[in-house]
Amino acid sequence: MRLIWNQGAGFSFRAEEFFGRDEELAALLRVCLEGKSGIGASVMIYGPPNVGKTSLLLKLKYDLQTLSDGAAPPRPFPFYFSFSKILSHPLALSQHFLQEYLWQLLVFLGDSPPAAFDTDALSDRLGTYGLIDYREFILAHRRFTERGDGLSALVNAFSFPFVPGGEIFYPVFLFDDFQYTCKLQNIPDGAILSILRPYIKSGHFPMVISGSSPGHVTSSLKREGLFGSFQLMEVGGLSPAASEKMWASLFERRKIQMPVPLQARAAARLGHIPIYQRMFVEEVSFRNAPVTDEIEFENLFALSITEGQLNRYWREFFESAFPERMARARAIKFLKRVVCDQFPLDTFEGALSLLGTSPEEGGEILSALEFKGLLKSDFEQLRFVGDPVLADFLYWAFERGVLGKGSSQVAAALVQAKLSRATAESTEGSREKWVAVTKELMRRWDCREVPMLLFRFGSFRERFGGKGLLEVVIGMEGEPQKMRLPKISSVSTGYRTRRGGPRFDFDLVAYGFLDADFSEENLVIWAVDVMTEKALTANAVEHFENRCRLLSLEKGLKPEQLRKWILFEGSVDPAALQRGAQHDIFLTHRSQMRLFLNLFGVEELDITPEERKAPETPPGAEPLEFELVLPMKADTEVVAARVAEEVAAYASLDKDTVDRIKMALIEACINAFEHSGAESGKVRLRYILSPEKIELFVQDEGKGFRGGRGGEESKRNRGWGLKLIRELVDDVEIATGDRGTVVRMVKYLGHESEKEGEGSPGPE
Amino acid sequence: MSYLTVRTRQADDALVVYIDGYLNSLMGEEVERVVQEALDAGGRKLLLNFEGTRLINSIGISIIIDIVEKIMERNGMLAFCALSRINRELFQMTGVARYVQAFDREEEALGYFAQSA
Repeated sequence: MRLIWNQGAGFSFRAEEFFGRDEELAALLRVCLEGKSGIGASVMIYGPPNVGKTSLLLKLKYDLQTLSDGAAPPRPFPFYFSFSKILSHPLALSQHFLQEYLWQLLVFLGDSPPAAFDTDALSDRLGTYGLIDYREFILAHRRFTERGDGLSALVNAFSFPFVPGGEIFYPVFLFDDFQYTCKLQNIPDGAILSILRPYIKSGHFPMVISGSSPGHVTSSLKREGLFGSFQLMEVGGLSPAASEKMWASLFERRKIQMPVPLQARAAARLGHIPIYQRMFVEEVSFRNAPVTDEIEFENLFALSITEGQLNRYWREFFESAFPERMARARAIKFLKRVVCDQFPLDTFEGALSLLGTSPEEGGEILSALEFKGLLKSDFEQLRFVGDPVLADFLYWAFERGVLGKGSSQVAAALVQAKLSRATAESTEGSREKWVAVTKELMRRWDCREVPMLLFRFGSFRERFGGKGLLEVVIGMEGEPQKMRLPKISSVSTGYRTRRGGPRFDFDLVAYGFLDADFSEENLVIWAVDVMTEKALTANAVEHFENRCRLLSLEKGLKPEQLRKWILFEGSVDPAALQRGAQHDIFLTHRSQMRLFLNLFGVEELDITPEERKAPETPPGAEPLEFELVLPMKADTEVVAARVAEEVAAYASLDKDTVDRIKMALIEACINAFEHSGAESGKVRLRYILSPEKIELFVQDEGKGFRGGRGGEESKRNRGWGLKLIRELVDDVEIATGDRGTVVRMVKYLGHESEKEGEGSPGPE
Repeated sequence: MSYLTVRTRQADDALVVYIDGYLNSLMGEEVERVVQEALDAGGRKLLLNFEGTRLINSIGISIIIDIVEKIMERNGMLAFCALSRINRELFQMTGVARYVQAFDREEEALGYFAQSA
């Protein structure tokens, strides 16, 4: 077989375009240079796809060549080989491997081999350097190839480089895309490692293997008993300084200007990942778009992620990883929740549940994601790639696929979210803000019963891990175990038992009374801590418990009089969960807290707290008014319905009326989601409750509603939405214009005389 | 189990499909898929059990209409059971109720199927 060599990945590598990773390179160089003394350590490099693993290997090869130029023999011969996807046939792989080795060795020796691959000719030329042992291997390989014996050909080719190089060189193996060795046709998984095993075990040959699927490779390593022989090196984004250096180089070559202060922010937005930086610069150059401030940057980024190069990059990735449409849709929806919405998920079972498919199909999707390097499974624990660009791509894919939004709409939402988040980020996650929200929530506690699961993170995760908002909301309704909240008489920050006494620094301490009975025996104290650290640890729980015990002793509280509550937002150590259960500490994650806040209508800090009114509003009293802002996202209309239920509870409306109001609201929201095209991506709802009627306003800031317009979903619902609304409520008014649409719906509350016009409308 | 997975049960020659949660486009398409599979496999009697259905939106209703059309095309039998009052009203408002028998309980619906064998 004769092939024309394409000069490989090494040829296209330019050392001057490589930035950062100094520590990694230094460690790898140490390992490789030890080969000279006959010491050969093995390293496995892993990381997400296209993060720069190949560049790192090629830079290592370059450095090894440069460093050893002119050094005393034996010199390191860095042999780079990529197990690319196309080489899945064992004969093709073995042939290519053999040729590459011979070719690269000749180049290393200073020869200029011919562009055509001819193993005999290459071998003869090597003979002139005193390397004559290859001919036997080549003859044997030819025999195996003629017989079609793929496995023997592989054994032959992969044993070949371990022939001693004598005094001239020692080989250093740089194997890239190693995960594809698991996919060889008709060859058992891990066969390549079986062949390499004796050489790795010998500890004489430096070897670096790299791939985006550590799970697949490590399981093969474990099967061969080689896992312990490898050092592991994870590769992520560059350091901020290296990223900025890279900007400078890229901008200079393309003659692009970007203000220096913006460069750091832009690099962080792209996760400090070199390939994204290159793509972004290409986008700037191609579109000839100025990037002089944050807004221009965000606009161009959003354009790239929704229809430009970043979009095509990830679209191609998902189409190749999941050729089957349904599996791809599931994978994207699943990843969107985990990577974009940061749903806390770290178990295989939770992931299967979130995928919402059969264990077999779910397992295949997870396996494909792991193979492609988007998730890492480490001893039954899952970890997902944290990539801000991927997160935004998933947002686009989800909004487009599920809500049928146009790319420009999604781009606008991305820009707005990012710009508003940028200001919120400085305060978001801060303990103060969360403490203030919790304080507001507790002030509203009113002896209501709430699902116990809001306080039991472990059980909550078990029951709802991986499920959508809708299912959680509905599931919570049917939850049998409830806890009656106390009536809170005061909430304060920090707590001091007596003047001059010890201070118990809880974030919040609340005095409450059970059953709204303000007597000493009904007194209950709630000690609350908000933990915004990345992970809730057993130590933190223990420390909290100790402070609670001191408070309890100091105040002489019976165990049932002190409620201990930790709110947290990061991951949770299993030991922390265990300690929490052991000490009867309530644990509430941010995801549970959202539901909790929603139950009590606490949406944001800025909302002026509504004072609770008596359930029975006397006729003629001021109407109660509530507002809710919904993001235009799948299933959020259910939140509108849920709030309607709560509002209706004030007026003790009958179930049928409440159901009709809920349905009407759901339809009005869906209409707004589909037809408005609002760039704000939000729908504003107002609920006005008076003794006579309940008025519902659904307002969007879109371009106005025109019947018959809309996407696939509209075709699907055949215009039922508006017809149903008219059937479900007593009055409907639609005001639409260039600045948006307001749908006003009125349901009269059992006072027939109040109705304006006719009685109950009949079907159309 | 996720809300996207539709539970089913074979009761003699009838397939009972349980619609739990929110009947929206996602759930509706899943129900439609299950029904289509049953029809393709030669099934002709289908019972949609709405006992666990908390909410239905207009897209869910139009998918149910598609299902009614498909079953009528194949001369199959379709029944509903355990509808809440609001859901029953929704099917009346949209005219679906004219084409599908609705029963309070699953057993009654299955009895109706058995009599029509």
